[in-house]
Amino acid sequence: MGAESFGWEERFLRSGDELAARERLLEESGLTVPGGEELILGLYEGENLVATGALVGAVLQGIAVSPMARGEGAAAAIVSSLIAAAVARGREQLFLFTQAREAARFEALGFSLVASAGAGGAALLEWGARGIERWLAGVRTLAEGKPERAGAVVVNCNPFTLGHRALIESAAARVPWLYALVVEEDRSLFPFQARLDLVRRGTADLPNVTVIAGGPYVISSATFPTYFIRPAADGTDGAGKAIEMHASLDLAIFRSRIAPALRVTDRFVGTEPYCATTASYNRLMKLILASPEGDGPPLRVHEMPRFEHGGAAVSASNVRGLIRAGNLAAVEDIVPATTWAWLNSPEAAPVLERIRRSDSRH
Amino acid sequence: MKAKKQAVAGSLESSDAMVTIAPSEDAKVEYSIESIVIKQFGKRIRAVTEEVVAASGLEGVKVHVQDRGALECTLRARLETAIARAADRA
Repeated sequence: MGAESFGWEERFLRSGDELAARERLLEESGLTVPGGEELILGLYEGENLVATGALVGAVLQGIAVSPMARGEGAAAAIVSSLIAAAVARGREQLFLFTQAREAARFEALGFSLVASAGAGGAALLEWGARGIERWLAGVRTLAEGKPERAGAVVVNCNPFTLGHRALIESAAARVPWLYALVVEEDRSLFPFQARLDLVRRGTADLPNVTVIAGGPYVISSATFPTYFIRPAADGTDGAGKAIEMHASLDLAIFRSRIAPALRVTDRFVGTEPYCATTASYNRLMKLILASPEGDGPPLRVHEMPRFEHGGAAVSASNVRGLIRAGNLAAVEDIVPATTWAWLNSPEAAPVLERIRRSDSRH
Repeated sequence: MKAKKQAVAGSLESSDAMVTIAPSEDAKVEYSIESIVIKQFGKRIRAVTEEVVAASGLEGVKVHVQDRGALECTLRARLETAIARAADRA
């Protein structure tokens, strides 16, 4: 499978020297080291690394080709091997993350563009059948018969608190219809199905709210991998840049694909006092969604004041902190009755136990 | 015959084809075929793909062919290998 084509030798890059050569090649191509790679491949011509690519979950990333091998199919060879490796690992829906200006090169290999964050930004492509078209078709059926000029919130709800409730309630009061998209990636302490159910139960009394599973295109490991990673403790520049790049791409997908499908004109978000990643996402939201430039009509962005209890903003991380500290009783004051009932159900026991033992940000 | 797992054969290099087979919930076979020569040879590529898959008896799968200008014998070989891998025979 391309391992020896044109005299190239394919290798897994592991040693310090190999990885240093890869880093140089990425740097020359203006790419950053993705991080979280499961597999890093390199094509060698003699002792020279001529192409590299990596697999991060279901996302092909860090693909760079040396100028001396351009146009000779090195990119095709490395991408083929990455696809084969991902399929062998059972990944079903494959994505490719690259720079917007490189997107056409991969479209020529059979990837289709999900969205691009514009010149200088990142682009996300997917392999095979156009997954986003299929997913949007499902989303469109949810929007059938609903009013135009709807609003949207994207929430993780890990778990659903009075803060989420206040955001959704006040947003729903400002638009004819509100879609609450719940992050589907199952990397939070509360499992996705429980998070989704709690949002549904906690908003069931609001007649103009539809709760939707966010799918692979709303803050997922494909669109926004750094959302699920604890930021570097030293706040290094590289991590901040990666977060901005992913957040911009996530927002470009929302603006160009999801908002038109749901006829969303307004996005609502709570102010973020605690988490640097979310604060950065909120800041870019105003820039990217509301900008007159970009694919898809501009949206209005409303940053809503955070719901407070006892002088402090209520957040899901407070809830997890209280559980971790063994103070479950105090949680009752900051979650709706529906979430409280669930937390006291047998179903919640293993989740509570996991939180007590974990120090994860999510 | 049911596919036991996802499988891939071939590559995206010029004059090759990459065939991906994935089990699906649907009983029938779902094809997606893309080619750099779809205008000239699209019909033939589809006919060959359907013929090889039908002959294998594989059902309930998604078959994706990304053709980069492969000769027919190459395409057949890639299809047969992917099918054998999906059925866990290779």
